[in-house]
Amino acid sequence: MQVFLHQFFDVGFMVEHFDEVLEGFWLTIQIWIVGAVLALAWGLILALLRQLPGKGVLPVRFVTIAYIDVFRAIPLLLLIVLIATGIPSLTFLPKAIRIPEWLGKPDPFWYGTLALTITYGAYMAEVYRAGIEAVPRGQIEAARSLGMSHRQTMRHVVVPQAVTKIPAPMLNELISLMKDTTLVSVVALNETLQVASDIQSHSYNSSALTLGALMFLIVILPMARLTDKLIARNQQKITRGAHIEVA
Amino acid sequence: MLQLKGVRKRFGELEVLRGVDLDVARGEVVCILGPSGSGKSTLLRCVNLLEPPEQGEIFLEGQDICKGPGSGTGESSWNLDFVRQRVGMVFQQFNLFPHKTVLENVTMAPEKVLGNSKQAAKEKGTALLERVGLADKLGQYPERLSGGQQQRVAIARALAMEPHVMLFDEVTSALDPELVKEVLDTMRELAQEGMTMLVVTHEIGFAKEVGDQVVFMDGGVIVEQGKPAAVLDSPREARTQKFLGLVLER
Repeated sequence: MQVFLHQFFDVGFMVEHFDEVLEGFWLTIQIWIVGAVLALAWGLILALLRQLPGKGVLPVRFVTIAYIDVFRAIPLLLLIVLIATGIPSLTFLPKAIRIPEWLGKPDPFWYGTLALTITYGAYMAEVYRAGIEAVPRGQIEAARSLGMSHRQTMRHVVVPQAVTKIPAPMLNELISLMKDTTLVSVVALNETLQVASDIQSHSYNSSALTLGALMFLIVILPMARLTDKLIARNQQKITRGAHIEVA
Repeated sequence: MLQLKGVRKRFGELEVLRGVDLDVARGEVVCILGPSGSGKSTLLRCVNLLEPPEQGEIFLEGQDICKGPGSGTGESSWNLDFVRQRVGMVFQQFNLFPHKTVLENVTMAPEKVLGNSKQAAKEKGTALLERVGLADKLGQYPERLSGGQQQRVAIARALAMEPHVMLFDEVTSALDPELVKEVLDTMRELAQEGMTMLVVTHEIGFAKEVGDQVVFMDGGVIVEQGKPAAVLDSPREARTQKFLGLVLER
């Protein structure tokens, strides 16, 4: 027991390395926020492209659906490695894009953000789609009969209602996204996992990793509780027969 | 004003409209009756191209709205703008925008589609909502309103686009009985003001009183049409007699 506690829960060791791990966690939060904002925007664009009406844009719809299917199927870890090892070798690209160091962040940060955006954009697109499809058909007909274009209908009628129907699944994706930022450690970004496992490999003590896990818990547990609450509230609405959220 | 010639529409195997001809004069109120599945609603939806017909012609103010680039695809083309700015529609389920207030429901299309200023749209919307007796509900959200009030908002919303023709698709069918009258009264006033109206309804009394013409549809065709008194009191066709018998028996 003593050995177990020393290996995983050495409080003195945690205190000693707290600042280093926290610095890594701060980078985790940053890549999470940048990735989340980009994935939310990209996902909405994908979802809207997928909903375009008419025969003329059939190819656009097809490509969008193919994109969403493909990137939901490719492992994120593989994609991160693919991007981080491949893009620097594309010599025809300007250096600022091959090896991006925007906003003072190292290039692995941006490779990771790109991979997260690509993959989570596809996930988010599916969440938006569920929300858009949950808006009653009559809403679209009413807007169209008032002379609004497809674009105006989406912007002023469908999307504002769709986003109120999907906070729970959206939060779930954001939680997954946060956890998946640890995968970017594979390309040597000094986020939580990378920092903590460096400490472990020097000291053979795993407590820094435990500390990293605790930091994740502190942020994610409230989000998970909130998700449950939203789902429960929605369930009540459904049993009352009011408008339905996608949970 | 509005002429339909040989309008046909099918959904897959099912032919819902099998050649409909109809003439509607300016200021006329045409009430369309018939059993469910007879094609009444589809006919209305053809007129504002929510369901573009496959065959036949629809003339609105002399223009054939089924012709021209993009026609039949249900997407943007000159005729879609032409039609939707001249034809207003009110639905059975109201279809108010739940995330907008009553006033915003009415001002949205004038602002976004007609390009009216916020101020102008607001004045027009307020006036219209006063006219349908809802001046005290401007800032409310639709879910706080009764069905009858919601339907009157829907009428005001359609009128805000200053349509030349109004389509009513069973607008009282989803209402509690005691709320039907307030909606019918609003429609009656509209008719008296000279609005051209196509009304799909089961309200025989309304058809008799307000209608200039009554059309009875069954199986995707017009079975009988004429003056309300003629069609409703002494129908010639057996199908009309049977339907009216069933409705009036209630």
